[in-house]
Amino acid sequence: MEIVLALGIGIFTASGIWLLFRPRTFQVIIGLCLLSYAVNLFILAMGRLRMDAPPIIERGVAVDPSQYADPLPQALVLTAIVISFATTALLLVVLLASRGQTGTDHVDGEEKDGEP
Amino acid sequence: MSGWASHLVIGPIVVPLVAAAAMLLFNDRRTWLKRALGIATTVALFAMALVLLQTVSTPAADGGPARPLVYLLGDWAAPFGIVLVADRLSVLMLMLTSILGFAAMVYALARWDRAGPRFHALFLLLLMGVNGAFLTGDIFNLFVFFEILLAASYGLVLHGSGVVRIKAGLHYVTINVATSLLFLIGVSLIYGVTGTLNMADLAARIPHVPASDLMLLEGGAAILGIAFLVKAGMWPLSFWLPTTYAAAAPPAAALFAIMSKVGIYVILRLSSLFFGQDAGAAAGFADTWLTIGGLATIAYGVIGILSAQTLTRVAGNYILISSGTLLAAIGTDSATVWAAALFYLVSSTLAVAAFYLLIEPVERGERDELAPGAPGAIFEDEYVGTFDEEEDESGIAIPATIAVLGGGFILCSLLLSGLPPLSGFIAKFAIIDGLLIFEDTIAPTTWALIALIILSGLAAMITMTRAGIDLLWTPADRPQSYLRVVEAAPIALLLALCFVLMVQAGPVMGYMEATARALGQPHLYSEAVLSAPRISQPAVAP
Amino acid sequence: MAVDRLLLIALILPFAGSIVAGFLPAGARNAAALLAGTIALIGTAILIAAYPALPGGGILRYDIEWLPSLGLNLSVRLDGLSWLFGFLILAIGALVVLYARYYMSAEDPVPRFFSFFLAFMGSMLGLVLSGNLVQMAFFWELTSLFSFLLIGYWHQNQSARDGARIALITTGAGGVCLLLGILIIGRIVGSYDIDRILASENLIRSSGLYMPALLLILIGAFTKSAQVPFHFWLPHAMAAPTPVSAYLHSATMVKAGIFVLMRLWPVLAGTDEWYFIVSSTGLATLLVGAWAAIFQQDLKGLLAYSTISHLGLITLLLGLGSPLAAVAAIFHTVNHATFKASLFMATGIIDHETGTRDLRRLSGLYRYMPITATLAMVAAAAMAGVPLLNGFLSKEMFLAEALAEHSGTFVDQLLPVIATLASAFAVLYSIRFIHQTFFGPPPVDLPRQPEEAPLWMRVPIEVLVLACLVIGIVPALTIGPFLATAVQSVLGDRTPVYSLAIWHGFNAPMLMSLTALVAGTVLYLLFRDRLNAMKRSPVIGRLKGRKTFEAVLAVIVAGARWLEALFGTRRLQPQLRVLVCLALIAGLLPFVRFDYRPGPLPVTLLDPSFAVVWLLGAACAIGAAWQAKYHRLAALILTSGAGLATCISFIWLSAPDLGVTQLLVEIVTTVLLLLGLRWLPKRVPDHWPEARVPVQVGLRRSTDLLVAVAAGLGMALVSYAVMTRPLPHSISRYFMEHAYFEGGGTNVVNVILVDFRGFDTLGEITVLGIVALTVFALLRRFRPAAESVASPVQQREQTASDHASPDRAVGDTVADYMLAPKVIMEWLFPVIIVFSLYLLLRGHDSPGGGFGAGIVMSIAILIQYMARGTRQVELLLSIRPLRWIGAGLLCAALTGAGASLFGYPFLTSFFSYIAVPGVGTVPAASAVLFDFGVFGLVVGATVLILIALAHQSIRIPRAPADEPKASLPASEGGAA
Repeated sequence: MEIVLALGIGIFTASGIWLLFRPRTFQVIIGLCLLSYAVNLFILAMGRLRMDAPPIIERGVAVDPSQYADPLPQALVLTAIVISFATTALLLVVLLASRGQTGTDHVDGEEKDGEP
Repeated sequence: MSGWASHLVIGPIVVPLVAAAAMLLFNDRRTWLKRALGIATTVALFAMALVLLQTVSTPAADGGPARPLVYLLGDWAAPFGIVLVADRLSVLMLMLTSILGFAAMVYALARWDRAGPRFHALFLLLLMGVNGAFLTGDIFNLFVFFEILLAASYGLVLHGSGVVRIKAGLHYVTINVATSLLFLIGVSLIYGVTGTLNMADLAARIPHVPASDLMLLEGGAAILGIAFLVKAGMWPLSFWLPTTYAAAAPPAAALFAIMSKVGIYVILRLSSLFFGQDAGAAAGFADTWLTIGGLATIAYGVIGILSAQTLTRVAGNYILISSGTLLAAIGTDSATVWAAALFYLVSSTLAVAAFYLLIEPVERGERDELAPGAPGAIFEDEYVGTFDEEEDESGIAIPATIAVLGGGFILCSLLLSGLPPLSGFIAKFAIIDGLLIFEDTIAPTTWALIALIILSGLAAMITMTRAGIDLLWTPADRPQSYLRVVEAAPIALLLALCFVLMVQAGPVMGYMEATARALGQPHLYSEAVLSAPRISQPAVAP
Repeated sequence: MAVDRLLLIALILPFAGSIVAGFLPAGARNAAALLAGTIALIGTAILIAAYPALPGGGILRYDIEWLPSLGLNLSVRLDGLSWLFGFLILAIGALVVLYARYYMSAEDPVPRFFSFFLAFMGSMLGLVLSGNLVQMAFFWELTSLFSFLLIGYWHQNQSARDGARIALITTGAGGVCLLLGILIIGRIVGSYDIDRILASENLIRSSGLYMPALLLILIGAFTKSAQVPFHFWLPHAMAAPTPVSAYLHSATMVKAGIFVLMRLWPVLAGTDEWYFIVSSTGLATLLVGAWAAIFQQDLKGLLAYSTISHLGLITLLLGLGSPLAAVAAIFHTVNHATFKASLFMATGIIDHETGTRDLRRLSGLYRYMPITATLAMVAAAAMAGVPLLNGFLSKEMFLAEALAEHSGTFVDQLLPVIATLASAFAVLYSIRFIHQTFFGPPPVDLPRQPEEAPLWMRVPIEVLVLACLVIGIVPALTIGPFLATAVQSVLGDRTPVYSLAIWHGFNAPMLMSLTALVAGTVLYLLFRDRLNAMKRSPVIGRLKGRKTFEAVLAVIVAGARWLEALFGTRRLQPQLRVLVCLALIAGLLPFVRFDYRPGPLPVTLLDPSFAVVWLLGAACAIGAAWQAKYHRLAALILTSGAGLATCISFIWLSAPDLGVTQLLVEIVTTVLLLLGLRWLPKRVPDHWPEARVPVQVGLRRSTDLLVAVAAGLGMALVSYAVMTRPLPHSISRYFMEHAYFEGGGTNVVNVILVDFRGFDTLGEITVLGIVALTVFALLRRFRPAAESVASPVQQREQTASDHASPDRAVGDTVADYMLAPKVIMEWLFPVIIVFSLYLLLRGHDSPGGGFGAGIVMSIAILIQYMARGTRQVELLLSIRPLRWIGAGLLCAALTGAGASLFGYPFLTSFFSYIAVPGVGTVPAASAVLFDFGVFGLVVGATVLILIALAHQSIRIPRAPADEPKASLPASEGGAA
């Protein structure tokens, strides 16, 4: 499992970063989406992998933490998801505005030689 | 501390939040209500910072150094819950923030708060984010507050719209979203290695991290560092800064002066906590990198100032210079230099904020900030800001205006180039003095730093002289410039504070020295946080 | 009151006066002059009162604590030397004020002039009265600043602006060097206090830092005192009003450098470095100045260069390093101040009366202004060193020193010759000044008809000339004691024996000055006509100080621009590349240092279906990366695929909350992006010139790919390394143990979110709210590119067909298409809402919670928009997103603040369980109230973003103005 997840994170990161370097705003925003998936998985991985052990406990009985997945990274990921959702939305609107104002969807707001 | 006073630490975060939220319930047309609320909030922030300053600088009962105030959110004991920690350093930054906030808020009354919707709410939320970043004692919570202040700053950069702001905003948002991802990676990596997020707890645990995990720890710390250095504007991560700040509306830019200092603050805080003297194997991590990066940043800032075409770019590059100076100073790891650097931090922030506020009136007539840089309206229901033109023409007496602007410009130039009589000179003197005495044989990097500090002053002097002569002395046929009292007053306030800093240099420097000493003893901080008592929970039978 | 306190007052008064003068009305020149004059006279009186304490090396000082930790106090210190300088500053200052009152015309803003003047006087006074060197540097820079303002006083003239700028940058830069030098001295001595520094001369001379300190301090002094090669600023400073020149270039500004040299003479002088650097500089300046002065056609130019030459003379004397030379230097400083000030004033009168300062046009003015002429003649004679005048005495001393043995090198032989030569030049230009101006035929076509100057304009000159005479005739009785005190304060017990008599017998110096007098006169008689024809001075006239200066600045700026372009960028892609690369290096460097090691744990065995999920996920990600440029929709779908893989793994790895939330966010994000797609430009595959990708583009792409792969690999390695390590003793154990008993919930993740780390959640929803505000603000002003305004093809066709068939109204076709989904979606509405509320309530115990519920709620509303169309929905239910956001934030924040009413910290939660019929027992924790806040905000924010974006499509393009206007969400009608 670990290897697969690690590779998955790696591939998401690679694709995201490749897109991050591209000159078109849409490519960049897609890249950032992929990167945020990768990062969310990475955070979860920082709590190590557990299967079929969601941190939902019995009522009123003393619990043995080692029987459950680490809840903290999950909480962090939830926060991260919300924030990345917000920033994605903002970035989308900004790039639309930039496209509208500058007439191009190049990240610099003007066509550069080289990248078409 | 008891009663309401015990909740004072949370104030700088909750008060602006509540005020901003309340504003959203009102129609945006009710400008004066929001203005009153906004001003009142900034004043309240200042008052709270003042009280906190009193508290944290009064020595402990046992005569020892003053202990930081620790606030256990949700009444959960550290390191499990989130804690807020107010020590000398964070309170100093709070104070600075509240002053800038007040000045910028007043300045915005002139017209900027009507350049787009919901200015005051965004402004207060930015203040909330900055204050939170200064107060929190938890690295993930720090991330959250970074996001708050960034989100608000996105809003303020784009405030007033226009093609320049949108182009700059696109770069700014993209870079910072990418940086936030780095932040997350760093934080979670550190958690994965140490199993905690609380700064004090981390400081206590890092010395005991097994050697086999050091690589992960330092990797995480380094990635985290990159994220902060982007905020602080270290070369080569700083190219976005001058452009973005130049695009932002003047009051926003003035407030942004504190944001690069947030990065500096965090670096200073974390490096002193995690990698200070008693950090074991990881001690002194990245000091040399900070020094080198700082030097490069100053050099780049000098180049930028010399080649700047507009005053806003001069200001932006000056921010780079001050960041570089501070980074290099942090890298020296000497309490003397740190104290001087803190003094410099305060002085340079006030100076550049005043300068940002001054630029627009000085250049007024040269180019109109509000000329829509966009093609004509395409939609019927086009929203355009509510600018009452006739109001814009009024100003205080014309002949006085030039004198006031000229005087302000000269004072700003003096501050930027570190010349007397204002605090810029003291700051420069103190830093160089500290650098010259802190080591037995002066290292080449130290000489380089001194030389660069001197050069940066000269560069600022050359550029500002040229600009000032062109803008204020050369007879030109531009429309007679005007200045409103609400614009002049905040500038005057900030400059006056720089003068006070000079006159009261003794006591101020005393505070800074105590602060630097406290930073040198991270264990005091950790003990204070980890031993903070809970108020026992009410017993509730499930 | 004690005298030392009076000194402080004398120091503060000018600055106070400057501020007062600044606020005087522009017309009030009498008031301003009176103020300035009074202050100068008070200062003089205080100095005189203070004098008795000084003879015999007495020192008055008054310290005020300023920056104790850095050993920096505001200390006023008066000894013989500073008394002498202070007296010159104040006394001559008073005279200049009187002169300026009559010189300045009523059109000028005279109060501003006196304001700057007083400030400058104060700075000079502060400089000479400084008790520590940093304070001295402080006032030093102030003199640069205020001299800048004074020189640029007539800033409507280009020459004034340039002169001021050159002076400021040159002397300011010098000042910075001086400060650095002083700081080094401070490091050597361990104090900036002058008395302590003067006491530790051996320490300084023997230190390894002596040389840098010396050089830096000398640069400072030389720039200020216009020594070669920094002399070029002084002639340009002549653009200042003549009173300013009379003050700055006789008694003050340029003497500041001399003062520092004298002040530090005891500790710095006496070494070979000092001797060679200082004396050679002085020598060069002496000659260059004298030579250039001969060929000037402008009276002020002549005086400027003669000033330079005299400063060179003083520097040379100080450089020689012998006590007697120092005495001569101090003495000549006083004399030069007196005669040069009077000469400048006389020039001002000539300029004032005739309207020109051109020596070639002036002639025979003696007829019109005999008194001024006489005064000028006496002063000029003093400058030339004619006996019975003060200039003669100090020059005798100088010549005597020139003859004396100093270094035992060739310089000793050279010095007498050069000294004589320079004196001859001095005689030459003095004669030229006088003869050209006052004698000869009456002047022709002068701008004005010359006449004698008003009495009060002459008085200052008369006083000064009188001083020249008195000192020249009875030196011992007049200047003697003061000079002695000053010398004593500098040389201490090394004070030599010297006599101030006029007649020392017919000795070598006498011979030399006679030679100089004769030679100068002869030269003038020989060359007078040719001199008038000269355009510029031979040899050195070629080096144009100012042109060089401007050129250097231009080169610096150009270089800076080039460097900025080289080391900086304003484009986004390079910045992102740098960012990622640095992060990569920073993250991987530790692995290089400590080498990479995976952890000890065994890997959990692989579930094949998980592998399949990830196979697909990876394929989607790569596909998205590949397609994002030309097929946005495809890329979007592929991205969602990757997101789906993420959701599945979340659930798989026992994180149900994450799975749910990620899925919901996924939906909303996709909808957003879909709404956005429409406004993006159509993109056709790139057609390169010769049908193949250029090299540099290919190169850039491959490096990008390389970096991307490296980063991916890095992330994979790091995460693997962590996952194979045992979990450290984490704080989350505490959460598991206390979630139920103290947090009142069984879904630990949710308890963390709303209780343990509720503060994070508060922040997170704040972010969402802020973003919503920003999006709203942006979309209000949204201007799509013109080409993307036209409605899509399909829509156009449908509308067309509707138009075509008479029995159909516009939009019917769409309605038909959408009928079935419409019905379903309308029915779905209440269901989804119930579901969202269910999520909200159960959140505390099992997956769900405020955020998820909020998203679901907004999806419900979104579906309504799809089903009924924007306008109908807004007719049915009026949504006020901003109010939802505000209310949500308030609810959450106040829930948190509520705890403080019970004396508990922010966000402390209280809970118990209550049975709700139908739903079962629900936790009535205050945390749930908090979750309501989250819910409200999320609904508001999400709906606002979605709707604001959706609205763009139904806004009415300008062209057809008759259609009804659409507007943004109703609540914001106000804000518009």
